[in-house]
Amino acid sequence: MNNLITAEGFEKTFNFIKLIQQGLVVTVLLALLTVIIGFILGILLAIMRMTDIRPLRFLGQTKSGKLRKNRFLVFLSKFNPISMIATIYVEVIRSTPVIVQIMLIYHGVFGLIDLPSFTFFGFISFERFLPGVVALGINSGAYLCEILRSGIQSIDQGQTEASRSLGMSKVQTMRHIILPQAIKNILPAIANEFVVIIKESSICYTIGVRDIMSAVESVRGAYFIIMEPLLVAAALYFCLCFPTSKIIAYFERRMSRGDKR
Amino acid sequence: MTNDKLIQVKNLKKYYNKDTIHALDDVTVDVNKGDVMVVIGPSGSGKSTLLRSLNLLETPTDGEIIFHGIDITKKSFINSQGKKERVNINLHRQKMGMVFQHFNLFPHKTILDNMILSPVRVLGMSKAAAKEKALRLLKRVGLEDRASAYPIQLSGGQKQRVAIVRALMMEPEVMLFDEPTSALDPEMVGEVLNVMKELANEGMTMVVVTHEMGFAREVGNRVLFMDEGKLVEQGAPREIFENPQHPRLQEFLSKVL
Ligand SMILES: Nc1ncnc2c1ncn2[C@@H]1O[C@H](COP(=O)(O)OP(=O)(O)O)[C@@H](O)[C@H]1O
Ligand SMILES: [Mg+2]
Repeated sequence: MNNLITAEGFEKTFNFIKLIQQGLVVTVLLALLTVIIGFILGILLAIMRMTDIRPLRFLGQTKSGKLRKNRFLVFLSKFNPISMIATIYVEVIRSTPVIVQIMLIYHGVFGLIDLPSFTFFGFISFERFLPGVVALGINSGAYLCEILRSGIQSIDQGQTEASRSLGMSKVQTMRHIILPQAIKNILPAIANEFVVIIKESSICYTIGVRDIMSAVESVRGAYFIIMEPLLVAAALYFCLCFPTSKIIAYFERRMSRGDKR
Repeated sequence: MTNDKLIQVKNLKKYYNKDTIHALDDVTVDVNKGDVMVVIGPSGSGKSTLLRSLNLLETPTDGEIIFHGIDITKKSFINSQGKKERVNINLHRQKMGMVFQHFNLFPHKTILDNMILSPVRVLGMSKAAAKEKALRLLKRVGLEDRASAYPIQLSGGQKQRVAIVRALMMEPEVMLFDEPTSALDPEMVGEVLNVMKELANEGMTMVVVTHEMGFAREVGNRVLFMDEGKLVEQGAPREIFENPQHPRLQEFLSKVL
């Protein structure tokens, strides 16, 4: 292996231009689909974490609806299974490495299912791509859930109180008062999550998804050079991530300008 | 002043922190139609908790709040046809306007949108009618030219005047004020108190938590003194200020007057 960077190395790398182009398409698709899955999952999880459905609530109340004195019964009455499931999900995902999650999902979950083996766009293998997208989506769903939740919780309690005191329901308050403000507050965090997803998608080459990193591996296998293809990959990831964060920053500025007009 | 009871508070208790803090300790009081009831007392005596319990922003630990003949602290009530019906707190809150110390205008909406949101969404008023009404109310408080401004562009006094007319948009039967002038610079207190005074003169039922003893004396028809979660003394302003009975009230007045 030669670690010197040479013009010749770049020439060799560009012999694989086709593969690199395809890898770029795969990376973009991976990131886009992950964002969509992650967002839907994140919203669902955030709603689940904030629900107040307590099947044992009656245990903590007297007949007239007042709180009981018995601490154990009051404790049981707080049991909220939906919120608990979402919380466990989020904490497990956030406390384990994404590479372990991808491997577990690829070998463990999709190892048991026979996925149809076909390619789409002519070069994307469905049976590798799908587990990659699912794993990344499951991962970013947990993070987006926490971003959404913290955004909602960052809104002053007085906003909810003012809205409810005007007779608006919980749902109306959420929709017209809390969410518009929360989303504006969390745009930077969401932008950051987009960029993280693009970068983290590179891990999918470990399960054989032919993304940008996988093209790097192909060049290495053919020519025993590593620095040049890595630099090309770095440039490509930069070209994806940098404009993404800049575009979102632009919208963010525009939206916050609306407030102070 | 009629003696129709609008809100009846019976043995209201609110405990916090595993029942160690008694924010409200067995408070019983009626709010009559047309009352301007001023609640005074030292900080932490439970004034806000009492006010916020009236429209259930705080859930009482025990006791009753009877509004329109319905105990709104319960989940359900028996209606006139003898059927069990759920208590719809949103319905009752529409009839109780609330003004907060920190205004709580919606920062992402213009003044006009702040005002029409709830009438349009909750009462089903048409946008045009709501706008007209909002502009009329804004005019009354001298802010008609600020309709398209955002809250951030207003002074504290202006914000609070908007908050008052925003609540009036719902045609409430009673207005609850929680220290409406405490967050204002001194030169702005007057403009807000004036709006409240006008409202009182028009016969609006009001419950006002305030440290403005001048307002209590001049505008109030009843004054409640609270201490440590208890309703310690109540009476006409003159009685309370000129002939206070309870030592705690005497002590409190000697500090604030
Ligand atoms: N959410 C809460 N948790 C615990 N204690 C509270 C809470 N809200 C109020 N209290 C306590 O209840 C008491 C009464 O508070 P409050 O009604 O706000 O008093 P005031 O408005 O008269 O200053 C205070 O001792 C306060 O610390
Ligand atoms: Mg208070």
